Amino acid sequence: MLDTFFGSATLAAALRLSIPLIFAAIGGCFSDRAGVFNIALECFMLCAAFFAALGTFFTVNPYIGVLCGIVAGLVCSLIFGLFVFHLGSSAIVVSIAMNLSAWGLTTLLMMFFWGARGSFVSERLVSLPSVNIGILNELPVLGKILGGQNILVYIGIAAIFVMWFLMYKTPFGLRLRGVGMNQKAAQTIGINTLKYKWTANLITGALCGLGGAVLPIGGTSIFSENMTAGRGFLALAALLVAKDNPLTAGLFCILFAYTEALALGLQNIGIPSQLVETMPYLTTILVLVIAGIKQKLSQGHRRPKPAKAS
Amino acid sequence: MKKLPIQSKNFIYEAVKYLAALSAALLLGVLIIKLQGQDVAAAGKAVLFGAFGNISRLGNTIRWVTPCLMTGIAAAVSFRSGIWNMGIGGQLYMGAFAATAVALYIPLPQTVAPIVCLIAAGAAGMAFALIPALLKRFLGVSELITTLMFNYIATLLTTYFTKLVNGISANNNSKAMATPLIDDRYRLTTLIPKTNASTGIFIAIFFVVLMYLVYKYTIMGYEMRQVGSNIRFARAGGVRTNRMYLMIFLLSGFIAGLAGGIEILGVYGKFTANFASNIGWDGIMIATIAANSPIATGFVGILWGALKSGSLYMEALTETNRLTVEVIQAAFVLFVTIDYRGFINRLRENRNRNAAKAVKGA
Repeated sequence: MLDTFFGSATLAAALRLSIPLIFAAIGGCFSDRAGVFNIALECFMLCAAFFAALGTFFTVNPYIGVLCGIVAGLVCSLIFGLFVFHLGSSAIVVSIAMNLSAWGLTTLLMMFFWGARGSFVSERLVSLPSVNIGILNELPVLGKILGGQNILVYIGIAAIFVMWFLMYKTPFGLRLRGVGMNQKAAQTIGINTLKYKWTANLITGALCGLGGAVLPIGGTSIFSENMTAGRGFLALAALLVAKDNPLTAGLFCILFAYTEALALGLQNIGIPSQLVETMPYLTTILVLVIAGIKQKLSQGHRRPKPAKAS
Repeated sequence: MKKLPIQSKNFIYEAVKYLAALSAALLLGVLIIKLQGQDVAAAGKAVLFGAFGNISRLGNTIRWVTPCLMTGIAAAVSFRSGIWNMGIGGQLYMGAFAATAVALYIPLPQTVAPIVCLIAAGAAGMAFALIPALLKRFLGVSELITTLMFNYIATLLTTYFTKLVNGISANNNSKAMATPLIDDRYRLTTLIPKTNASTGIFIAIFFVVLMYLVYKYTIMGYEMRQVGSNIRFARAGGVRTNRMYLMIFLLSGFIAGLAGGIEILGVYGKFTANFASNIGWDGIMIATIAANSPIATGFVGILWGALKSGSLYMEALTETNRLTVEVIQAAFVLFVTIDYRGFINRLRENRNRNAAKAVKGA
């Protein structure tokens, strides 16, 4: 029983499952911070997953696959940015259209290149090799969890801290947050808000690209139709709960991935996995509700502001 | 196809916009079909024949138009009042399951059976919309996010419920899980024999017409639109905005839940886990293209349903994948959302500014 919850197998699985979420969520933090509501993370990830698999398939080199994934993520964010920043489309509608077409397009391309439907397995689809960092393996308990993972796992964990630093400790991050907080004010002091939005958008694209790439070549060596299966929305949940702080978002991703890993274990002892799997979504709503109550209380006895119907 | 309530001088702009978007999307479609090494004309013909070719194909089209109209109008009602109800898919699932549950467990006489099931479906959809609506109105929690999350909760919950119906350990393969078939007396009447076209289409048309009339001729419709365009102004003008907001949100949820009920009673006859993966999003796309006008939603819904039915036929007949049509649909939405006028104005502005600069420079 205890093993189900805290066994190294569960924890290692949680870590592995969390990496795609972490990349997508900390990437999404930047867009959201810049005031761009991007719910197309799912599309970015799925396209990246496909092209990472495709790149690996043609070159038999997973590193090139990762690169292809990043490029695919960037291209998706370019399309998103073009429509939202320059053509005046609504970010929400563009996201929905992109999410839906991503499923169709990747499946069509899958059939075009591999003639396969459902899922595709090939020996040319090489996964990233596991990396052995000497000290990590020798740690008493953590060694079993942290040791011998692939390179993207370590990059993912490092990215949490790097991106947190970028957002909170650099002039770029300060301005970015300013743009999201009050665009007019940022403009007034001479910040090119469009530039910051674009940069944030591209960061989102690149990181979602990494996150997507983990899925096919991060150990499973398989690409399947709609491989992301809602992970983009799970990442969105994490970044919303974390209020766009990469550090907190990373932690929530690990928590969400843990519930996912746990669901499999609990299934075996008779607790339905579906109920466990609702946890991330319920958590998100709960956190938003608490934030709402807090805000309500801090307004005190003043007349409540009429909520915008946006 | 489109009949938006717009002033005559805007009409040409709108028409050009829709035509441009449509041709861009079709061009993309041609490209994709060519890429698959298929015959474009054959694929197009297959879609057309598949949608309207004969009476049984027509029946199939009616089957697909029904949920498209329902989810489309559910989305349009909420969007028109500025409510981002992204949870239509989730509300549809809850409605579908509620209808199935009533049909499985409550013995009812034939005359009222489908009606009770449908009311249960609508109520379930409404209940699932109630929480986001309350959270938004009283705590300011974005309904866009809560409804998105509720979509996933709904699919997981209904999967779990299906499991309960079957007995927990019956089958662990959650992908192919379904409840037993419901009794025939709970089903909606079939319109065209040997097809899935049911009387559900009349319910769908009823809601389209009803919303058109409400918006056009009633004070309530006017107030609903006012809540969408400026909620503070509406409040100042004496609209009871809290009540109105809740009512619109619940109405949207009710229609979405009803759509789920119709799917079960009219088509499937049982609840299958994850049976309608994208239909909620379809509704949102339809409402977007229709600019939230009920009549336009009706037309776009018919187009959408016909494309769905046609593409299924095309896939069976030719080698072209039906996902091609879905990509074209999504691309159409993408191109329609472009604010061409704003874009052109900005270009002009830039040109003028540059010209002014050039003059200054000289």
